[in-house]
Amino acid sequence: MQSSSLLKKYASIKQQKISYNWNKAKRMKICYLFLAPYAILFFTFLILPICTSIYYSFTSYNILEKPVFQGFKNYINLVLQDEVFLIAVKNTFVIAVITGPIGYLLSFMFAWFINELPKWVRAVAVVVFYAPSIAANAYSIFLIIFRGDAYGYLNSLLLNLGLISAPNLWLSNPQYIMPVIIIVMLWMSMGTGFLSFIASFQGIDKSMYEAGYVDGVRNRWQELYHITLPSMKPMLLFAAVMSITTAFNVSDVPRMLAGYPSTDYAARTVVTHLFDYGFSRFEMGYASAIATFLFIVMILCKKAISNALMKVGT
Amino acid sequence: MNESILTRSPGTLSIPGSANARGELQLGETSACFVNRKGEELVAFSYHDIVRLKNVRNGGVSSTITVTLNDDSTFDMHLKSGLACHSFIDKHWPNKPRQVKSRADELRRMAELRGERIQTPLSMSAKKHRNERIAALVIALLLIFFDSGVVQKLFHFELSTGFMVLINLAVIAVILILLGSSFKRRRPNRSIGGDMGIYFLLIVMACLMAFPLVFAIGMSLKPLDELFRFPPTVFPRHATFKNFSDLIVVMGESWVPFSRYLFNTVFITFVGTAGHLLLASMAAFVLAKYDFPGGRTFFGVVTTALMFSGYVTGIPNYVIMSKLGMIDTYWALLLPAFAAPIGLFLMKQFMEGLPTALIEAAHIDGAGEFRIFWSIVMPNVKPAWLTVMIFSVQSLWNTSASTVIYSEAKKTLVYALQQIQAGGIARTGTAAAVTVVVMIVPIILFIINQSRILETMASSGIKD
Repeated sequence: MQSSSLLKKYASIKQQKISYNWNKAKRMKICYLFLAPYAILFFTFLILPICTSIYYSFTSYNILEKPVFQGFKNYINLVLQDEVFLIAVKNTFVIAVITGPIGYLLSFMFAWFINELPKWVRAVAVVVFYAPSIAANAYSIFLIIFRGDAYGYLNSLLLNLGLISAPNLWLSNPQYIMPVIIIVMLWMSMGTGFLSFIASFQGIDKSMYEAGYVDGVRNRWQELYHITLPSMKPMLLFAAVMSITTAFNVSDVPRMLAGYPSTDYAARTVVTHLFDYGFSRFEMGYASAIATFLFIVMILCKKAISNALMKVGT
Repeated sequence: MNESILTRSPGTLSIPGSANARGELQLGETSACFVNRKGEELVAFSYHDIVRLKNVRNGGVSSTITVTLNDDSTFDMHLKSGLACHSFIDKHWPNKPRQVKSRADELRRMAELRGERIQTPLSMSAKKHRNERIAALVIALLLIFFDSGVVQKLFHFELSTGFMVLINLAVIAVILILLGSSFKRRRPNRSIGGDMGIYFLLIVMACLMAFPLVFAIGMSLKPLDELFRFPPTVFPRHATFKNFSDLIVVMGESWVPFSRYLFNTVFITFVGTAGHLLLASMAAFVLAKYDFPGGRTFFGVVTTALMFSGYVTGIPNYVIMSKLGMIDTYWALLLPAFAAPIGLFLMKQFMEGLPTALIEAAHIDGAGEFRIFWSIVMPNVKPAWLTVMIFSVQSLWNTSASTVIYSEAKKTLVYALQQIQAGGIARTGTAAAVTVVVMIVPIILFIINQSRILETMASSGIKD
């Protein structure tokens, strides 16, 4: 008896809430009008593909025939039978764990340092640091720098200095592939996050620093922790999201540098694995399972980071 | 009320402890009164008596004004044109509390009252460091002298390349440190030692970052015999533009005229960026400035979608596009570009910083939502839309679009260039030229836009 009255109460509250929201929504029709064009496109080209991709992950699908539902079979195969996938996961995590946080910290640090420079030097410095990530596929130049014969720049330098006696196969020897990829990824890590740091550093109200100085902030570290960091929290999270994205989605760099497929799968990442199954073998169901796996890992990562960032500066 | 009524607004009056009354608020130059429908004066007050005035928006222009008077009486008025009334009273309210901007302002104001002046480093006068500047100049000249080899030839000695690089680095660091210490205004809270460390680190890192790009440019300028020289050099001895002219020749031989690729890329980049900018900022405007059901959820979804790479959605996207009949049209590239989550995200973040008062003021003046968006919000978020533009241009310029477009006449420039690059050893020089052409365009666009961003950031700061 009591439980049913509680239920009724809950239902009526829920109803009130819905009708309140409905009235509010009706009153603010214009907002939906503004949102609609973007929202429709966004739904069609981002949400819908993601949903279909999750659906395909439970099926066997090769584009030509109709998808056949087969439950968790793709996921079970992925974990239990696919050894290459485990290598790919290991490589991706190594790259993500090293280039993600380091790239993030580097871009924050250099944005902060650059912000100290006078205006014209700052303009030049931003271009120098940001250029590698904006410059399309300029990383292909590393093919020449790390080339396996004596004409490779690094090899010839080391030969000249007498550090090695024969040229190293930087891009074919599994021992060296990962370090090379990590170096190139770090080189490109001053990306979107870096730029948003620069922008937000300049957006901070100068009078806050003045106030801080009057209040007894005495060095740059205190200033950073008490004034700068709290005022750029949204940018911190944004840059974190961007660095997770680049760290986990790494695929172009290994494919270009180490070849596809690479020696002993040394440069296989989750996305190249996905690429292999999706675009070469057309096992779309399996590829979708890999994509879903990657997506879940990234969402968990983002949750953890946003929780950590909540505590910054408080 | 014994003065002429300047403004009036219909609405409801509620005083704690008594029933609500519907009527009209009438505002004069120095006082106001609330009159019910029969014409009786329910509440009257002079602006001199107001202690506090609060305004709560209820969507649209209707809002609740809360007035607190000297004798602790408080009453709420729910008014049709509440914002207008609020700003009217606010304008004529003689003893309204002064707004304090920051603690520093407050301290400075108090010091002013005491007749003192607070000296903060930001307001200290500039100190000139003329000698240091001259020293830096002399060292720079010496460096150029060294590098040009004149000194080495004169004194018959030769330094190894590595040593030269080290010397150069060290000297550049010294110059920057000297210049750094002679900036017109030194910031507060900065030690000279720390500044030097930072400059040195920045220089070393900048060299490392720039080296591959410089190397790529050097490669593209080398003639054939220098491309395979041992040991390889960074800078060409006999720089030539032959690689670039070869590139044009190769392009000229292609099946589809070169200008067609160029047109495709420019068209896609231009339309895609413009559309993305417009749609994303329209959506960002309402998401940032209005609280409506579903808005927060939608933004949450957009933030999550930031993490999806094109590969993950590639195949289902293809299926959807083929269902819509967009494969092999420009729409297949343009529409997804319009919906890129990054633009919306950045725009919304920037627009949150816009003062709400600005938009309310426009409402009072009777501007519609679209007018507010177009003539008030957009000009004020210039830095944001320049930033969004860069991202959009960058990603669109780099699309090779090999999956959704198959007719050669609609392929992009980057695709054509990559085909040339795949030509192997025989085209090493041309490939280097391609790399330079492809990378230089986004960089140049960025440089042009960046100076404008810095400028707009510095001059168009809005403080709430």
